[in-house]
Amino acid sequence: MRRLKILVSLIVAGLLLGGLAAYVAGQRAGEPVADSTPRLPSGGDFTLDSADGPVALASLRGQVVLIYFGYASCPDVCPTSLALIKAALQTLAPADLARVRVLFISVDPARDTPAKLKQYAGYFDPNIVGVTGKPAEIGAVALRYGATYRFTPVQSAVGYVVDHTSLTSVVGPDGRLVEQLPHGTTAAEIVAAIRRWLPH
Amino acid sequence: MIRSAISVASVVAMLVAVPPLWAAGAADSIQIADPSVRAVPPGQDQTGAYLTLHNTGKQGHALVKAASPAARATELHTVVDEGGMSKMRPVAKMDIAPGGTTRLQPGGLHIMLIGLTQPLAEGAHVPITLIFEDGSRKAVHAPVRAIAVPGATMPGH
Repeated sequence: MRRLKILVSLIVAGLLLGGLAAYVAGQRAGEPVADSTPRLPSGGDFTLDSADGPVALASLRGQVVLIYFGYASCPDVCPTSLALIKAALQTLAPADLARVRVLFISVDPARDTPAKLKQYAGYFDPNIVGVTGKPAEIGAVALRYGATYRFTPVQSAVGYVVDHTSLTSVVGPDGRLVEQLPHGTTAAEIVAAIRRWLPH
Repeated sequence: MIRSAISVASVVAMLVAVPPLWAAGAADSIQIADPSVRAVPPGQDQTGAYLTLHNTGKQGHALVKAASPAARATELHTVVDEGGMSKMRPVAKMDIAPGGTTRLQPGGLHIMLIGLTQPLAEGAHVPITLIFEDGSRKAVHAPVRAIAVPGATMPGH
């Protein structure tokens, strides 16, 4: 009787252990094991308007292109991001700098004319080009680059603000979206990302 | 006659004696450090002002308003990050805890100067009046400069 009890206990323990092992194995197989390349939006070509005419991403092959969605009257977040990008560009050797472009895409064409964007973007760095377009065009490009924004009325003399993501997309020399840098990415990290994709 | 003169004198003395108690307002307990106004691109008609508020008192205080002749409107704002979106919103006040420090800095609390009345030259000083919860005020002259952004410095370069 006692021996039977021990046997049953052993069997139960064995089943439990086996089940646990299977469960752990199942968990392992199911999880996206430390994916080092997070899924990126599709990206892709577009043409938007600058003060100096249309800018087509397709015309920038061979260069690393940083793309940032924002708006010129953005008081805090956009200038901070552009200041970080400027600091990054300033450390590049002229030969590298010639192969890097930054597109600041305004999602607020009602307030940001191409002429205003030229003044705005150029103030930070001559390599930053301000572009915009019709709301539907911008919306389509933003969607493909995973940028979201929302016009929000506020009790303020500014009238409305634009809530928006603050991502810097990195497009490689082949035109593919290869990385997205979160808000607050340091200048050193931006430089590292540019160097990863610059053709050698 | 003499008696009435004494009572007038005592009333005057009281009036003189009382104001210092009232004058110990919030502004007296608040120290301001590192004021600055962000230099903006030409054509840009709004910007942010930043500073550090330190409360040396034993009571909590709050900045409830700011005013400046440099802009059509001066407001208290903050930036919050929600669900990956940066959102700028007006705030009614900025609390400064007893003995505490409240920092107005890029990416967070700031004073918005909206509708700049003139271009802001780097190095110029913008007068800003800070108004606290009890109506007491403090004047600040904030230099205009390109705002140093944390992470923009490149060690070794």
